[in-house]
Amino acid sequence: MHATIQKPIEEIDSYFRPGEKVFVVGCDNCAAKCHSGGIPETQEMAARLQKRGVKVIGWCVPQPAGTSLCKLSNTKRVLQEEYGGHVKQADSFLVLACGQGFHTVMDATDGGVVHPGCDTVFGGETVSDDFITEYCSLCGECIVEYTAGLCPVTLCAKSLLNGPCGGAKDGKCEVDRNRDCGWQLIYDRLKAIGRLQQMKQYMPPKKNSKWSRPRSLTLGDGESTFRSLTGEHTVRNRD
Amino acid sequence: MSRLQHAFERGKFVVTGEIGPPKGVDLEHCLRDAEMLRDQVTAINVTDLQSAVMRIGSMAVCAKLVERGLEPIYQLTCRDRNRLALQSDLLSAWAFGIRNALCLTGDHPSLGDHVEAKPVYDLDSVQLLKAADNLNQGHDMAEHDLDGKPNFFLGAVVTPAAEPIEPQLIKMEKKIQAGARFFQTQAIYEPEKFEQFVNGVQELEIPILAGMVVLKSAGMAKFMNKNVAGITVPDSLIKEMEETKAEDRKKKAVEITARIIRNIKQLCQGVHIMPLGWDELVPEIIKQAELS
Repeated sequence: MHATIQKPIEEIDSYFRPGEKVFVVGCDNCAAKCHSGGIPETQEMAARLQKRGVKVIGWCVPQPAGTSLCKLSNTKRVLQEEYGGHVKQADSFLVLACGQGFHTVMDATDGGVVHPGCDTVFGGETVSDDFITEYCSLCGECIVEYTAGLCPVTLCAKSLLNGPCGGAKDGKCEVDRNRDCGWQLIYDRLKAIGRLQQMKQYMPPKKNSKWSRPRSLTLGDGESTFRSLTGEHTVRNRD
Repeated sequence: MSRLQHAFERGKFVVTGEIGPPKGVDLEHCLRDAEMLRDQVTAINVTDLQSAVMRIGSMAVCAKLVERGLEPIYQLTCRDRNRLALQSDLLSAWAFGIRNALCLTGDHPSLGDHVEAKPVYDLDSVQLLKAADNLNQGHDMAEHDLDGKPNFFLGAVVTPAAEPIEPQLIKMEKKIQAGARFFQTQAIYEPEKFEQFVNGVQELEIPILAGMVVLKSAGMAKFMNKNVAGITVPDSLIKEMEETKAEDRKKKAVEITARIIRNIKQLCQGVHIMPLGWDELVPEIIKQAELS
């Protein structure tokens, strides 16, 4: 999931020109789970902006329930068909969702003016209804097979691949003494599952070209093609 | 061959020192510190933006030491440069006559004075050592041949009092495999723990310089115990400092450092003295430690 947090209302307010007609769009998947752009927050954002004098002409969170805003076909259908009148009338759109959902609204409104209502902070695991945390940095080159399933790129503040730095104290990271040292977690788990030998293996530097942006994925019949600065990489998903 | 490498090869007990470049371009004080180490140490570490605080670079100060006939150990961290810049800086350092390089991870920018800086860590210290060793062999990380190759004497660091110690030992071995030829350690205050560490790494057959951070006050000891990873100053030493009058602290600092060195010198190939500005004490430390 893409974790998001709302921008301060003052910053959002500052985006609009006097008299600008704004339509607010939320997301019923990730942003709803983050309480940054679900139905209640989107409705409330419309009211909060109206109270501050912004001309809000309506709001929506594309349904069916649980649908991601970043699914363009659905967002386009909802905005163009269910809210076609509003979309035509709007000067701009405020999106309460991640950066992908934000761009989806731009596409769904054929290049409409879109304002970001949220900061996209990370991709995370929804550990519970009120806690989301980051285990993956979307680097394009997964190495957790060798690190007991725990990603050092994400869990180590320095993304070190060959073991801990000298900064950890009592198993806590030098960056924040309340945060676990990622390599301590990896070491403990490798030991617990009887695979400590893997820590002795040299890990080569990351291929940052796989982390180059923007990246894309094209899905074909039984195959997927990933594009990055490493070039095109096609794999068969089925025999 | 660097004098440092030569000293190890001759089996000499090696003493290295350390200076920290200033924030600014006035090198007078820093070079004066280095002068105090002349004839006392084999080589002098020059730190690389220590504590992630922006300063003049290690390479510039190392080059100044070379000009003066002093031998620097160029500290190079992974924090601020990607693999292009790290390899290039090593080649540049060689061109300035720098022959020793100590490869480190580097403190995180959030601990320094530019907390919004992008932490780079494109390589880690093991990968940096391997890259530097590859340069020594005449090719870069992209396996392209160099036109003229350096021959750095490469060093690394280890924290003997880390708990648990095993991850440090695993990494130490990886550093050796990657090209480290000597180690400097985090500050040692407990000879017994250091002995345990040395016994555990004997089979690695690598020169180890025990780190000596000159203890300036009881307050400093308590601060390090609370905040610095891998450093434990025992209560007995804190008490000793507390019972020392302010005007006698330098004398006590010399006495304590020299005593620790005497206790551990049979266990290792040398010591790395970090005087933290009290460089004028180094000759007396060496004398009292019976190293001269």
